[in-house]
Amino acid sequence: MNAALEAEGLVKRYGARIAVRDLSFSVPQGSIYGVLGPNGAGKSTTLRMLVGVLRPTEGQISMMGGPITREGLRRVGYLPEERGLYRSMSSRGAIAYLARLKGTPSGKAFKRADQLLTDHGLGKVKRKKIKTLSKGMAQKVQVLAAIAHDPDIVIFDEPFSGLDPVNQRVLEDTIRAQAAAGRTIIFSTHVMEHAERLCDRILLIAHGSKAFEGTVQEALALAPSIAMLETEGEYDLAAALAPKGFNLSFDGEEHGNRRWRAKLENGHGSRQLLQACVEAGAPLSLFEPARASLHEAFVALVGDKATPEPAE
Amino acid sequence: MSPIFLVARRDYFAYVGAWGFWLSLITAPLIIAALVFAPVLLARAEPPRVLTIIADRAEDAARIDAAFEEMSRNGARAEINAYLAATAPALAPPALEAFDAAPDRGAGIAAARAIVADRAPRALPAFPQPSPRYVIAPAPTSDVEALRAYLNGARTLPDGRQLFGALNIRREAGAPVIEYWSVNLSHEEPSNIAHRAMRLAMQREALAGQGLDPAEADRLSAFDPRIVQFDPRTVAGSAEVTARQRAPAFAALALAFILWSIVFSVANMLLSGVIEEKSNKILDTLLTSVTPLEMLIGKLLGVAAVSATLFLFWGALGGVLLSAAATQLDDSIFGQVAAAFLEPRLLAAFAVGFIAGYLMYGAIFLALGSLCESIQEAQTLLGPVALILAIPMMLVMPALDNPNAPIIQAASWVPLFTPFLLLMRAPAGLDWIEIAGMGAVMLVAVIVVLWLAARVFKAGVVDQVSMANWRGRKKG
Repeated sequence: MNAALEAEGLVKRYGARIAVRDLSFSVPQGSIYGVLGPNGAGKSTTLRMLVGVLRPTEGQISMMGGPITREGLRRVGYLPEERGLYRSMSSRGAIAYLARLKGTPSGKAFKRADQLLTDHGLGKVKRKKIKTLSKGMAQKVQVLAAIAHDPDIVIFDEPFSGLDPVNQRVLEDTIRAQAAAGRTIIFSTHVMEHAERLCDRILLIAHGSKAFEGTVQEALALAPSIAMLETEGEYDLAAALAPKGFNLSFDGEEHGNRRWRAKLENGHGSRQLLQACVEAGAPLSLFEPARASLHEAFVALVGDKATPEPAE
Repeated sequence: MSPIFLVARRDYFAYVGAWGFWLSLITAPLIIAALVFAPVLLARAEPPRVLTIIADRAEDAARIDAAFEEMSRNGARAEINAYLAATAPALAPPALEAFDAAPDRGAGIAAARAIVADRAPRALPAFPQPSPRYVIAPAPTSDVEALRAYLNGARTLPDGRQLFGALNIRREAGAPVIEYWSVNLSHEEPSNIAHRAMRLAMQREALAGQGLDPAEADRLSAFDPRIVQFDPRTVAGSAEVTARQRAPAFAALALAFILWSIVFSVANMLLSGVIEEKSNKILDTLLTSVTPLEMLIGKLLGVAAVSATLFLFWGALGGVLLSAAATQLDDSIFGQVAAAFLEPRLLAAFAVGFIAGYLMYGAIFLALGSLCESIQEAQTLLGPVALILAIPMMLVMPALDNPNAPIIQAASWVPLFTPFLLLMRAPAGLDWIEIAGMGAVMLVAVIVVLWLAARVFKAGVVDQVSMANWRGRKKG
């Protein structure tokens, strides 16, 4: 698949501080691409370089196989992390204004603004000033402003931050719909669950450097497998299996039963774990091999200190 | 459509849509009118100040009384002259002749009024009723110490009026000494009038002592040579300098003040506008579509369009009034001053000064605004900037005195001062080539300032450099 965006050896320095170091990645056309990492990892700096707001200190960025140009950037929609709109403008006016700055003719920009606002349940407030809207509504308006000019590439920087769970779900649907329409979506997040649910490919960044790039499945494969177990009564399964080299952690109690989480490392698989339980005479009521999370994959790749925050 | 135009258009409508814009549009002419007319109205609203005179010699009191009467007579004459010059210039000579022929001030006013009533009745309703600035009341007591109560406000005169001041003319070894008593310590005019009157009286006495006839002494004191000023640059007609020739210099001074206040207030709009955008966090969104330089230029043009709208309204209003004054009152001082404002050289200097000054100072303010996170932070910057802006105004008054002084000529080529000094020098025979030359200097200065401002603006809005973190970044 051709790359919509490709970065090669990106470096961004602010004086002596290096925000991004030697970052290379490729975003396939039509994919949903997640840029993941903890706060301060360099995600926003990377995205701002992609949209031409920042110039890389070193390295190259190509868009659709060529260098980034003013015309090319008109085909990019961008939702910055530091969000804001003109508070005295109407939602309709704000969306149309940003679309016109991207080269959409005036009439078409207003039509598109009306259509997007109606489609996203904001038709009734389209003439209201931004300052009269709720924070969630204003954020929706800004998302719509990023896609109003029908861009080929949409870049969202931390699009889920500040949204309640319902609106986070709505935004996930919007992202899927944009991808289904053939657009390339790039978004950054420090919450791994969004990336797990949405992304075809991910880029994990820690301390400004690439920790991983690939599919979500490839990332998960790097994490240790786990299994969830449940024992009856007050049986201490961790103590029973520790001499056999298994690493279990207590995961809570439910209906008088204890739940355990086992990391399958050191060549141990789920079959060996089950066999060890039987040999130890453990009163098992549940044995469930489970999939590791992206969060665990990230921990495995870069360690605890650079780990993103858990889900909100 | 160009992004610059879109940014300018949005900013323009944002400002024009604010109620403050309409308030400025309507109130500014009213405020200017108030500033022009308020002092006159205030002066007229004040009742005459009551003075009294005590003197060792009755003739001294009479002399000073006469001096005050002459002053109020001259004041009334000047007021009638100014009114007729603005309304019916042709009537001024006969009316003033009638005034001069009258035995006293009141009769003079009545005589002038009668001329107007007879020949231009339409000008009669607004005919001035000048009231004297001072009236002399009989002294309620001949003892200065006893006057204290009247002067302190503890007592009033028998007719109920409050005494403003008292003049006590003593004689010490024959020589007069003037004591002026009043609680208004900063007001010295009555003592100055008395001083002048007594000085003339002393001269008269001295000359009389030398055997000169008192009438001849009065004639000598009344010598008053006529001063006529000429302009050597005049090639046709009389070279005598009239009010018409002096008017452009004062028109330039007024325009320089207007330019300064507009540049300063408009630059403030730019400063607060960019800070608002920084705090609204909208700049990152805009910067994917426009470059910092485009945004800077768009903003400058947007606010320039706001100023242009104000100017169009005020200019149309002022232009109509000035044109009407210049044609209808051609031979009056008012008409001549009005015509001075419409001089092509002065208008060209104002246009060059305004455009260049606005762009240069506006770009500086935009760049400064991009480095501030809040209005409060910007206000700390405004202090030094206001001081820098005050420097050109400090040169304006010396330029009025001598527009061709070497320092003024040199300073007028320094871009920081050019917009203001170009205006001040324009009426003093500045060549068109010099106006064009200063325009070219300003063009280069504007380009350089815009380029530098764009770099600072970019650092402020893109790299988030601010006054607060500047030191930190330098260390980092």
